[in-house]
Amino acid sequence: MANQKLGLVFFPAFDWAISPAHPEREERLLYTRDQIVEEGLLDMPCIREYKPQIAQYKDLERVHIGVPDLSSLITNAHLVSAGGAIAAADAVMRREVDRTFALVRPPGHHAMRVVHGTRGFCTINIEAIMVEYLRKTYGIGKVAIVDTDVHHGDGTQDVFYHDPNTLFISFHQDGRTLYPGTGFTNEMGSPNALGTTLNIPLPPGTTDAGLHEVLDHLILPVLNDFKPDIIINSAGQDNHYSDPLANMAITAQGYARLADKLKADIAVLEGGYSIENALPYVNVGIILAMAGMDYSKVIEPDIATCPVQSSAVTRSITAIIKERQNMWATKEKLQQEAIAQAGQFWQRERSIYYDDAGIDERQKEVVRLCPNCSGYVTIETEAHGMFGYKSAYIATIPNYACPTCQKAAYDAAYKAKKQGKQQLYFVQNKMEDRLEIM
Amino acid sequence: MFLGLDVGGTFTDGVAVSAGKIISTVKTPTTHNNLLECILRAIDKVVLDTGNKNFERIALSTTIVTNALVEDKIDKVGLCIMPGPGMNIKDALPKAPYIVSGYIDHRGHEVARPKEEEVMAACRHFSSCDIFAISGKFAVRNSSYESMIADWIREKVKPSHISLGARVSGSLNFLRRTNSAYYNGAVWRHFNQFATAVEDALLSRGICGPVYVLKADGGTLPLAVAREFPVEAIFTGPAASVLGIMSMHPTRGPAVSLDIGGTTTDIALWQKGTPIFAEQGAKVAGYATSVRAFRLKSIGIGGDSFVRWEKNALKVGPVRYGPAMAVGGSKPTITDAMIAIGLIEFGDKQLAINAMKELALEGQTPYEVANMALDEAVTCIYQAVMSLLAEQEAEPVYRVEDIVQGRRINIEQILGVGGGAIGLIPLVAKKMGLSYHLPDHGMVANAIGAAVARPTLDLTLRADTVEGYYTVAELDIKSRLPKSRFTLEDASLLAEQHLAELAKVNGIFLGETELIQAEEFNVIRGFNTVGKIITCRLQVKPGVLLPSKEVF
Ligand SMILES: [Zn+2]
Ligand SMILES: [Zn+2]
Repeated sequence: MANQKLGLVFFPAFDWAISPAHPEREERLLYTRDQIVEEGLLDMPCIREYKPQIAQYKDLERVHIGVPDLSSLITNAHLVSAGGAIAAADAVMRREVDRTFALVRPPGHHAMRVVHGTRGFCTINIEAIMVEYLRKTYGIGKVAIVDTDVHHGDGTQDVFYHDPNTLFISFHQDGRTLYPGTGFTNEMGSPNALGTTLNIPLPPGTTDAGLHEVLDHLILPVLNDFKPDIIINSAGQDNHYSDPLANMAITAQGYARLADKLKADIAVLEGGYSIENALPYVNVGIILAMAGMDYSKVIEPDIATCPVQSSAVTRSITAIIKERQNMWATKEKLQQEAIAQAGQFWQRERSIYYDDAGIDERQKEVVRLCPNCSGYVTIETEAHGMFGYKSAYIATIPNYACPTCQKAAYDAAYKAKKQGKQQLYFVQNKMEDRLEIM
Repeated sequence: MFLGLDVGGTFTDGVAVSAGKIISTVKTPTTHNNLLECILRAIDKVVLDTGNKNFERIALSTTIVTNALVEDKIDKVGLCIMPGPGMNIKDALPKAPYIVSGYIDHRGHEVARPKEEEVMAACRHFSSCDIFAISGKFAVRNSSYESMIADWIREKVKPSHISLGARVSGSLNFLRRTNSAYYNGAVWRHFNQFATAVEDALLSRGICGPVYVLKADGGTLPLAVAREFPVEAIFTGPAASVLGIMSMHPTRGPAVSLDIGGTTTDIALWQKGTPIFAEQGAKVAGYATSVRAFRLKSIGIGGDSFVRWEKNALKVGPVRYGPAMAVGGSKPTITDAMIAIGLIEFGDKQLAINAMKELALEGQTPYEVANMALDEAVTCIYQAVMSLLAEQEAEPVYRVEDIVQGRRINIEQILGVGGGAIGLIPLVAKKMGLSYHLPDHGMVANAIGAAVARPTLDLTLRADTVEGYYTVAELDIKSRLPKSRFTLEDASLLAEQHLAELAKVNGIFLGETELIQAEEFNVIRGFNTVGKIITCRLQVKPGVLLPSKEVF
């Protein structure tokens, strides 16, 4: 009946919520649980259920720097959710199953490298934590993350923005019309990693037809070109036509066919807030597709209410596909130009808003454009919120950093500490797998 | 006086229990081609022993349903399903179903009504069937469509029996309910013939007492109820043994029980004095069903397990060629090893030593090879216990707190019953570094279990305060909520009332009940809570009857 085996980490966290009426609350996966159990999916010989692990702080600190620390910003639910993604990764890497789907909450793709609190329902980035775990534990090199959530995966983009070995592709409802207001086509990665961030903003009203145009003509060819060792799907499901937080028009069939074509090794649930009308069907469709089973009968009861795609939407999708194809074809040239323009260091200043926590953060980020490695990164951060004021200076040593960058990162941290402008000083040393407080 | 009977693979055991004491035990070979024969022989012996013909209860643990399946004595069943949207279930069932449109969604809403002409077509399709099974997705949330189809079929073809998925089980899992309903129908006629034969035979001998049948979850069903739900009477042997252990040694701490028979060892886990249930139902003929059962593991190691060399390693079981050489068998067994070493006294010791001599390699004494064989058997049992514990710990949980707290079971004691227990249990206990207990009458634990198993029942009440309704699938109830502010506490009280009602219908004493699942979720529209979805599953606590008149 099935030709492949799917591992399922199902963790609905029935005792955790951001707040009682928040979209990210206890019953978000209740109807999904009911549907999965009622279908009898967990009894299928080609599907195996896994229990999440509890992620270690060490796993989290490969990605995040919590200010003042992670433990005061997260709950056990976050450790279990990240541990769910890790359990999914382990099951695939041990070849117990062909692919896995971590249907876990809380989600993570809006959580950036520096964490002051919760933004976009996310506090820690569970996919990013899983990716670094894969690298540390199994020596995985090239990773592709395809973010299919309706919101731009700004957190995941931030974490891998300077990493040429991680291809981050996000399609989403255009940032001009939806939270978090980022994910434009000019965000392509810092010069050393230029092109490995690929944003595909789509117009509101995009349907299955438009989505599969993008998939067939842009995403799949790019993946084919990049040749990742592993494909991760940030499987947000809020592109659904009934989702209350966005304005797209994707169906359960559209999502299932997407999963079928993408053939991700690991999918991790992100958003999706039409908890009663969409999630049960979309999740079942994705599970069936990932398990290689027949998903043709998964149809929402109210499918008649799904809008059709306007010709204006079709035109703008065609245009963006063309424009992104061109970018991908010419990315080496674009990269040379960007490096030449930036010189030895590339830098940017940003302000980041934490909607769930009401925090305003300002960041200055500097990357050394090293010819021998992806270059060390320094971040100056300061945040205002209910707690008052918090600040930190962070130097990050990437995986495979050259000796010069390793030393320079420490020098930068010492120098900053001496100047004493911030409250806390960190060196995130990915090569030695530790977070040091200076 | 309670009469308990266990029809096992080799022997049929009987016991009479009075005032908490065992006053008669019988062991007689099982007559596989006619189960009634060995059952009556055992009963006659007990009657002769005790001079009593009036029993408070006669409880049977039988392989009748299992045998019907194994021997293919099953009926053709017209299986009609309403799968609605979702997984394509068609190929996952033991028999090709007829698919009828119409469906209920996960909230219990009637989304699309089934079509009568399709059901009529199904009747024509199954024109050779006298038994039907009907199952609809989410019928446990609203069984009206299942009933509607049953009415149409009844009117059209007047079948002997119709099994309904939502009546067979009130739990979610359409696949399992459908399989259960199908097998329930398939064994219905065979079981009913057996039940009638048992009743007639007892009547003709002047033996009185209500007859009960054991279930896989250790509960008992009055024969009249079992006639409607015969699939529940499958796999009762291990459950009987677990209940027997419970009656003989009420342990409180975490424990493992080992029922070591001739061919197999059945392993069960215990916590707070009760055996642990499997989260999921049992498998029947390789298909997942909703039949509730204890978490058990059975391995092919027993007293009669064949011992031999294979590629320079001494192997034990799962093959069995008959009894030990010490009692005239032809091949060396684990029992021979135990007798040769002097762990047990049984049969002819010299023959057992000869059996070990036959096995011994050059330069090896019979004692050495016997020890090796026992080591191998003990290791197999030990590994099986460990893997059962690992399975229990790996059971998914859906709350953060449950993950953080973990589920480790630190076993404190081993409870051993069955023919091979006396010799092997001390060795297993030594290997695991635990204490052990061998209850008296451990040889007939199954029959004792059948005699004293308390009847169990469970039901699931689901309230949807937004819709203003609650349902109890097992009772085919869909009613308005009795009050506007309905809480989880109200739900569990209401469930208690309905369980009492169900118990009464089934002729079962309610006794102590326990909530085995309680969930409460807010339903939110926009940013306002508009109601709650409450689920509670309540059961009559499994256990053993007290010497007092707990039944009736
Ligand atoms: Zn989202
Ligand atoms: Zn460098």
